[in-house]
Amino acid sequence: MSRSPSMKISRFGLFGLLAPSVAIYTFIMIIPLALSFYYSLTDWTGGPTKNFIGLDNYKLLLKDSLFWHSFKNNLIILALTLVIQMGLAFLLTTFFMSKALRLKEFHRTVIFFPVVLSAVVVGFVWQMIYSHDYGILNAVLRSVGLESSIRAWLDDPKIVLYSVTLPLIWQYLGIPLMIFVSAVHGISKDIYETSELDGCTGFKKAIYITFPLIYDTIKVVMMLSISSNMLVFSHIYVMTGGGPGTSSMVLAQYAYKTSFGSMQLGYGSAVTIGMFIVSFGIILLFKRLAEVKN
Amino acid sequence: MSVPLLLRRAGNFLFNAVMIVFSLACVFPIVWIIYSSLKTKDEFMLNSVSLPHQLQFHNYYKAFVEGKMYQYFISSSLNSAVTVIVVVVLSFCTAYALSRFRFKGRNLIYTYFIVGMLIPVYGLIVPLFLQFKQLGMYDKFYTLLLPYIAIRLPLPIFLFESFIRTVPMELDEAAHMDGASTFYTMTRILLPICKPAIATVIILSFLDTWNEFPFSLVLVSHDSFKTLPVGLTNFYGQYTSDYTTLMAAMVLSILPVMAVYLAFYKNIIQGMTAGAVKG
Repeated sequence: MSRSPSMKISRFGLFGLLAPSVAIYTFIMIIPLALSFYYSLTDWTGGPTKNFIGLDNYKLLLKDSLFWHSFKNNLIILALTLVIQMGLAFLLTTFFMSKALRLKEFHRTVIFFPVVLSAVVVGFVWQMIYSHDYGILNAVLRSVGLESSIRAWLDDPKIVLYSVTLPLIWQYLGIPLMIFVSAVHGISKDIYETSELDGCTGFKKAIYITFPLIYDTIKVVMMLSISSNMLVFSHIYVMTGGGPGTSSMVLAQYAYKTSFGSMQLGYGSAVTIGMFIVSFGIILLFKRLAEVKN
Repeated sequence: MSVPLLLRRAGNFLFNAVMIVFSLACVFPIVWIIYSSLKTKDEFMLNSVSLPHQLQFHNYYKAFVEGKMYQYFISSSLNSAVTVIVVVVLSFCTAYALSRFRFKGRNLIYTYFIVGMLIPVYGLIVPLFLQFKQLGMYDKFYTLLLPYIAIRLPLPIFLFESFIRTVPMELDEAAHMDGASTFYTMTRILLPICKPAIATVIILSFLDTWNEFPFSLVLVSHDSFKTLPVGLTNFYGQYTSDYTTLMAAMVLSILPVMAVYLAFYKNIIQGMTAGAVKG
């Protein structure tokens, strides 16, 4: 607003409007955040003694193989999600653009639906899908005669990471899809009409016209995906708890386990902050790479 | 009909068929849970994919009453209702003050809230747990409300602030000339204008609160204070092999979300994806 608002309000009125929000917000979000930094510099285990140990927790973190193992798992989940979910979303976006597609409203409502479900319910649903004796996955494999590919989907350390990634891809497919679709709607129709006249159709149109024009949007969506995948917790907590062993351990699960499983509150805080630092690092790295490519 | 036209029709038909199969496959896991929850345990054990022979709601009774899912249901409902109301009131008041008045520190307060959207809430769990323990606020009926409200504040403040800015200032001035108080202008004139934004805020805050898991897991331990997602994990521990009852419990916990989604899916999809596309 360029001109100065002429409305007047008493100091008391202004205070009444702002104070409750500022107070609760400060108490719940800002103070704990500051405390978290402080705790990460102590050796607190929940008891009465709490010694300031400087950066020792962070030195330990650098050598903590489980932390880096969890980080690697996060990266694998992230890479799979970026490639499969984004790829699928882009493919579906090109389908949504097609005039031949009927029932668009139905498709979009159905594909987006899992997004609104709670992560816990999704975790349980997929645990049942993967169930050895009663899960639909094995039932389907059995009915098409692929008994040999039946697995203990969540109990086999070799494949568990892929099994826990699939629900994540499935649940959040609707977000990149709907963002891409609305970005495509923003592209001028003339561009498509002209390109079609020049004989550019189907996949050519998708790759040479749609993709470059929504490239900025794709970058934003990928960044959203990075930040949510680096912090994934509830799904994995429900499906495997990081197991078997530590084969599906992710950073958030590890932070939770260190803090509440073994009450290493100081170290757990350091793990949490470490998780944010590496996530932030990945985002910065991605930003850098995406710009360079442009 | 000419051959190319026929071919194209067939291609279109195939394309649409493939898309329908894909969409149905996307929603099938949930559909499977819903119809299986209406089967008896034995029926499910015999064939886990078939449709129920006869609809029966015993699993629901077992989950809701015997398994005490009702207490989580009540807790989730109360937490969501209070959170949504308080979030709307607080964020509207704050946004109104930030958008309509010029005062010292206005930009600072605005930025202060907007930064909150970037704070990863997982980082708050451990320190908040300790803070609540020390202040004797752990495991009380109001314990979850505080983080639920605070975490949800930044987005509505941002939404309302930008919405109120689009409403001409002359409206407030005219009301003022006619002798309306600030409070009257805010509640009787601006509030009704903001209805679309309020609807979005209500729906999104409800979904977030209803589905929230980590805070409820860590900050309360009384069963009657726990919300549905945590209740489900407890429930799972007790009924591990009783799949159909588990499925009934899951369906119960997603019914309100499904109802809200079916009623408002347009607002929800728009609200959750807006902002990522640069105009």
